[in-house]
Amino acid sequence: MRHDFLDRFSRLQSPIHRVPTAVKLGGSLGLITGLIATSVAHVWFFVAAAGLLILLTAMSRIPWKFVIRRLVLLEPLVLGVAAMALLQPNGGAVFLAIVVKSTLCLLAMILLSNTTPFAELLETLRRVRFPRLLVTILALLYRYIFVLIDEAERLNRARESRTFRNGRVRKWHSLASLVGQLFVRSTERAERIYAAMLARGWK
Amino acid sequence: MHIPDGFLDAKTIIATGALSTAGLGTALREAGKRLQARRIPLIGLTAAFIFVAQMVNFPVAGGTSGHLIGATLAAVLLGPSAAVIVMSSVLIVQAFLFADGGVLALGANIFNMALVAPSCGYGVYRLLGLVLRDERGQLVAVSVASWSATVIAAVFCAGELAWSGTAEWGTVFPAMAVVHMLIGVGEAAITMLVMAAIASTRPELLHGSDRPKIQEGLSPAFIYAAIITVGLVILVAPHASSLPDGLEKVAGALGFDHRALTSPIVPSPLKDYQLPGLSSTSGGVMAAGLIGGIIVFGLSFLLARVLLPRSKDAAGRQTSVKQR
Amino acid sequence: MNPAIEARNLQFRYPDGKEALRGVSFTVAQGECVGLVGPNGSGKSTLLLHLNGILPETLDKEATVIVNGMPLNRETSPAVRRDVGLLFQEADDQLFCPTVFEDVAFGPRQFGVEGEKLQEVVDRALGLVGLSGFENRSPHHLSSGEKRRVCLAGILACEPRVLALDEPTSDLDPRGKRTLTGILQSLPATKIIATHDLELVVQLCPRTIVLDEGIVVADGPTHELLADEQLMLSHGLEKPHILRHLHPH
Repeated sequence: MRHDFLDRFSRLQSPIHRVPTAVKLGGSLGLITGLIATSVAHVWFFVAAAGLLILLTAMSRIPWKFVIRRLVLLEPLVLGVAAMALLQPNGGAVFLAIVVKSTLCLLAMILLSNTTPFAELLETLRRVRFPRLLVTILALLYRYIFVLIDEAERLNRARESRTFRNGRVRKWHSLASLVGQLFVRSTERAERIYAAMLARGWK
Repeated sequence: MHIPDGFLDAKTIIATGALSTAGLGTALREAGKRLQARRIPLIGLTAAFIFVAQMVNFPVAGGTSGHLIGATLAAVLLGPSAAVIVMSSVLIVQAFLFADGGVLALGANIFNMALVAPSCGYGVYRLLGLVLRDERGQLVAVSVASWSATVIAAVFCAGELAWSGTAEWGTVFPAMAVVHMLIGVGEAAITMLVMAAIASTRPELLHGSDRPKIQEGLSPAFIYAAIITVGLVILVAPHASSLPDGLEKVAGALGFDHRALTSPIVPSPLKDYQLPGLSSTSGGVMAAGLIGGIIVFGLSFLLARVLLPRSKDAAGRQTSVKQR
Repeated sequence: MNPAIEARNLQFRYPDGKEALRGVSFTVAQGECVGLVGPNGSGKSTLLLHLNGILPETLDKEATVIVNGMPLNRETSPAVRRDVGLLFQEADDQLFCPTVFEDVAFGPRQFGVEGEKLQEVVDRALGLVGLSGFENRSPHHLSSGEKRRVCLAGILACEPRVLALDEPTSDLDPRGKRTLTGILQSLPATKIIATHDLELVVQLCPRTIVLDEGIVVADGPTHELLADEQLMLSHGLEKPHILRHLHPH
């Protein structure tokens, strides 16, 4: 798996990318709040929001194929709940509201996450006095996702090289074993990271 | 179970936001008090681990696959407060990087998956652990705990959706509950297999004096329980005590009150099947839940036997005939 | 002038009972570059961890390590840590911040450096390793050679007088090795390099210490020790190719 799948476009060059993170973050949250708080009856608001988001996305140079694919990729749960929304009295209106709002909110978040490096989001959180421990954990989490994915891939490849029989049961056992190994290695790595932090003066 | 933005209304967002802030705040405070600096990289790495573990595809049928959520696993490995922090972090990163789960809906998602799931999972695990004390029993306990946590979290999720008016309780509660009773089986199996794998390679991570689990006091447990109870009252209880609309209307039209409907004219052996005040669907789902739980317990027991043909009791002595 | 490092009868046993160091003593002069070689399990990494006080975990015993005249104990360990830059074997364990800038800045930040001065320090350190302009890069996008250099920058930013390096050229390709070797050569700090890369030792270190099973079995000029085939083979090493083709003049 490629490493940069998570924030592939977050370091492109575009007018949107250059906007300060705090503005982008505040703006996105504000827009999402507005979208949720406003009734779908105010059609003009949603049309304006959609227009704005599409314009910003175009300016951001994020490939449209990527955006659309991401918008369409929906969890079965989400589809299920939306379907259930239809079933109730006045379901049509509820369904429409859900679809419009969630799509626009999703677009706003796709835009935010792909025009802002996560490290900068963290820096902004730090500045607004988010709990320090949580920010540290988020930073470590973000940093080591890729390392662990690599490790998991290596473990998996090694396992598959020695797997000569197929079968779901074995697969589950083997994958669970992999997950277990990954945890064990994570604890060992954590110890080494601690040593490295100490070595550079961490108290 | 990630709820996107647009599915919850303002009052639900605010209420769940308040509850998760309280829960996460408690966990952070507890960690601040009791966490040695040495454990901070461990919590960060465990969060990364859970994130990656959630990506592993466990093939089910056709093209579908099951995935681990890991809330109970995290709680059993690191303790409940650390697990709250771990799961919250994972959800925050998923919301901001993946747009997996909404941003304003984070309150609800954190409440369900980062507070309810690990706390209930841990609670069930410890309770069962009082009775099932040997190695096999630990696996059974963690399995049933994971299943329960998944189902309970799903119930709260349904409550949030219903309270927001997105879907009706009568539809969404049975759907979510039953679906997650099935999904929960996967969670139970995977969690048990992972625990068994860790126990077989590095048992000291689970039982040693230096294990990663952070020693916590009892007070956070009470706070989590209190927060979850408030959630229960706001999100679940109001729905569970009403009959399906149709039946209610009929009762009203005929001049009966709802209690009368549950005491039939002719005594029937199933008279006590439905508790007064609960709708028939709610009752049915709860019954299914109970039966499901028992089935999961049984299956876990069998799986544990397969994984550990020779079991050790709490003191490490062999409890069955064959020597290792 | 004080020696850069003085190790006196270092002994260490791991919690599981394994004896890693069984009485190691040596002295390193200011500005020296010493190679530390030995088979796997000889205690090289453990030894390096003693030089900045990460091991032993409790530092109340009598000081067995003296760095630049300062005995290493609990009070002095923060200062010693600043003075001994330890480069760990795996870059990923040491590169733990979300961006290169933050990682290089980590050390100086601990010592209270902030703002413009911090920017200067980071710039300078990145310059020393040839990675100027990499400030905003994410670690996972870097090659292993680049990661290693960022780690080195992170240490250099603390301006240590001693550099302790654990396998600095492992998992580097030939170009990465050349780059790193060149950088190390240009640094004036006292260096002690634990490595399997005997060619590196020949290139950089006039003096070599051979460690095996926790004790120093040889300590002397690199050319002599590493050319001694019997010594090398008996301690799980071998004569490096560079020295195989040297004709006695």
